[in-house]
Amino acid sequence: MPLTLPADRAPTEPILAARGITKRFPGVLALDHVDFEVQAGDVHAVLGQNGAGKTTLMNILFGLVQPDEGALYLRGQRVHFRSPHDAIAQGIGMVHQTRRLVAAHTVLENIVLGHPRVRGFLNLRGARREVEALCNRYGFTVDLGARVWQLSEGERQWVEILKALYGGAKILILDEPTSVLTPPEVKTLLAGLQALVRDRGVTVLLVTHKLPVVMAASHRVTVFRSGSVVARLRTGEATEEILVQHMIGREVAFRTADRSAEAGRPLLHVEQVSAFNDRGLLALRDLSFSLRAGEVLGVAGVTGNGQEELAQVLAGLRPVTSGKVRFADRDVTHLSPLERWRMGVGYIPAERIEVASIAAFSLVENTALNYHFDPAFTPRGLLDDAGLDQLTRRILSAYNVKAPHQYARARHLSGGNLQRLILGRVLSRRPRLLIAHLPTQGLDVEATAFVRAKLLDARAEGAAVLLISEDLDEILSLSDWVAPIYEGRFVAVLLREQADSETVGAMMAGLQKEAGAR
Amino acid sequence: MRLGRYELTLEPRPAVSAVYTVLTAVVAILLALALSSFLFLSADASLLGAYRAVFSYAFFNPRGILATVQRAIYLLFCTYAFLVPLRAGLWNIGLPGQVFAGALAAFAVPFVLRAQEAQTLALAPGLLILLMVAAAAAAGAMLGGFAGLLRARLQVNEILVTMMLNSILFWLVAYMIKEGGPFMGATAEGEGFTLPAPLTAPLLRGVPFTAALALGAAVLLDLLFAKTALGYRIRAFGENPAAARYGGISPVALSLLVFLLGGAFAGLAGYHAFTAVPGVYKIPGNYGFYGDLAFYGIISALIARGSAVGAVPIAVLFAGLSLGARFAQGALHLPFGVDYALLGLLMMTFIASHALYQFRLAWRRVPSEVLQPAPTELPEG
Repeated sequence: MPLTLPADRAPTEPILAARGITKRFPGVLALDHVDFEVQAGDVHAVLGQNGAGKTTLMNILFGLVQPDEGALYLRGQRVHFRSPHDAIAQGIGMVHQTRRLVAAHTVLENIVLGHPRVRGFLNLRGARREVEALCNRYGFTVDLGARVWQLSEGERQWVEILKALYGGAKILILDEPTSVLTPPEVKTLLAGLQALVRDRGVTVLLVTHKLPVVMAASHRVTVFRSGSVVARLRTGEATEEILVQHMIGREVAFRTADRSAEAGRPLLHVEQVSAFNDRGLLALRDLSFSLRAGEVLGVAGVTGNGQEELAQVLAGLRPVTSGKVRFADRDVTHLSPLERWRMGVGYIPAERIEVASIAAFSLVENTALNYHFDPAFTPRGLLDDAGLDQLTRRILSAYNVKAPHQYARARHLSGGNLQRLILGRVLSRRPRLLIAHLPTQGLDVEATAFVRAKLLDARAEGAAVLLISEDLDEILSLSDWVAPIYEGRFVAVLLREQADSETVGAMMAGLQKEAGAR
Repeated sequence: MRLGRYELTLEPRPAVSAVYTVLTAVVAILLALALSSFLFLSADASLLGAYRAVFSYAFFNPRGILATVQRAIYLLFCTYAFLVPLRAGLWNIGLPGQVFAGALAAFAVPFVLRAQEAQTLALAPGLLILLMVAAAAAAGAMLGGFAGLLRARLQVNEILVTMMLNSILFWLVAYMIKEGGPFMGATAEGEGFTLPAPLTAPLLRGVPFTAALALGAAVLLDLLFAKTALGYRIRAFGENPAAARYGGISPVALSLLVFLLGGAFAGLAGYHAFTAVPGVYKIPGNYGFYGDLAFYGIISALIARGSAVGAVPIAVLFAGLSLGARFAQGALHLPFGVDYALLGLLMMTFIASHALYQFRLAWRRVPSEVLQPAPTELPEG
């Protein structure tokens, strides 16, 4: 079986190496001359914030993405992967962030699916023997006859790992394997991976942005930032603090929020709120905070720690399992999104195209998405076309939206222009509470500065702003309060003056620290 | 596809003018007629004679044209029944069931009020007719609303639910009208009772008043979608449910509403088919035929691309060609099923013409650097 490493190779020679890899996507330099090496028999952590380039590099190593420059070396030999097919044939397996299994099929059928030997006829009995042998060897206990939909997320991940091993993988790439798991599942996963490496000589590449995972399970770590490798360390010689510094850099954040404005009266109280995510896992755990008019609370965190669920709970799009939300002296916990819009809640979702706009609709019709319930724009149940037309033109000019005209389809706008339109549309309602989720994600420098300035304008006009972002500089430059979020909880709520990028960055990555909580 | 230095590609078409839309429809019709000439090869008459028979009966014969109008009204109501949920992105495949529910409810009014005979009318005929129309619409709406509610509340697939309801209602009608059933006719076997003359739908110049309802509904529906806040919400939900929900549109209320409205139109179709068409005025033994015919509402809504007014000529065409082909089949001894075959061809060419509408074929010169063989490996470095 192909699961032992050749012993004749010196341990210092990298089993897999990428040299001088550069990859450009339209408008983005995803990887900038990256050199990357993995030693055989290691658990090698790949650490970095979202957008640092780590997933792009993994996709290149797996043949999913072709590099613009640079070359890959497997055991010192130059290789060229035109597709994952080539990578799999060379013993590289990848487990993606999202599951790629057939839910209605059994575990065994999923493991066998796509195996090169399976052509036409399916010898399930023979395959079962082989897979069982594989399970015994690695000490997995998975019911091969179970249907995938019956399994927990953690078990499904094991199925994919088994599938990769059955396909002959000696190098296993796991992209954010812990992001969808519960803490006990994480423990099981990490222990299992270490056993694979220790006993079977499999090499594991573990892509993550969680420091505890890196510290607990890896031998070496490579840190990415903005498309470059900024550090290569042995985990034993690293500390969480050092890794945080590498991960977020040392640039000094400059503040633009004007702190002279007097904060108003408390407007929003969130009391012990818990909520599930779409997979039925607890995404918010007894989260509490309050927010005053004229204040910005910056929620800093790595995607997947409950930010989206928090925004949706506040907008009325996701039910809470326990806890209360009070807004403007009213219990709004069970109010619909429509009632909250009417009360002055404004929400800018992270997904501009999927949630915040309708691609096939004109810009005027997109403006109507936040006005179709407004009596001023719907006299006698009819849409006030002239009024909406005028409002849209006002938004286009006030927010510098570059569009041919107000009847262009939203799908023809660039990301930055679409975001300006959405921002203008929401702010034109003069919300008392503004929830802005990743409002500058993917925008260019100019658009980013514009959006940030508008958020501060809203604050100056007395809105309470909940800013959810992954960009620490953005959080620190706009917020009055900073709340690092990790696994569904605020690690702390810090006054801006007490928050520096290292403290907050460490808290975002799961490093607990005593701090002045609010 | 590449041919030498040129490449034939399918490109998305940016925007389509109204003239172009009508033109593609005309081309589709002509193409269907041309293809159907194969069906007429075995005809006694010439090819031209076969076409003349189809068209002259459907659109120029006084009897034929009335039948065309009656059937077009039926198809139009079925079209709306599918079209309203479609605009909200939902598929109402329950047209036959809702048609049958409407028919049963319409006949239940005289049955319950003991008005099966002209002499025993308890209320003014006008009032009874109004009650029958309302009952038919309400019954169709309830059946549609049931599927809508299951969809909205429990995410049960509306296509499966409406399909199963079709079957249930089909057999319910059978139970009601066949021997021993409550709605059994006095003389005829396997048919429902005949409406007394005062309760049949009033005719305006030989055409039942339902024609006015159908045409009025076409205009009102298009206005609903174009001008009202409710229509906007339905369209927004149909285009992007997540965005609609974000904008405060309730998926539950909206799914229920469109199915109620769609079902009501199907109920009206049932009212029209069995109480308004001269010469019928009862649920006939072959009522299943009307259930099958209802599905042409789906096709005409899809071809009209969601426009109710746009569906009017399409429904008239479908009605006329199906009747004309049936007539020609008898007159010229054409093979059995020529009418369905013609409708089928029409459907295929219409749907094929949609490709023309979204894409265009284009010849592109291939840039010379692409033609050179690509290097097999990247340069070292």
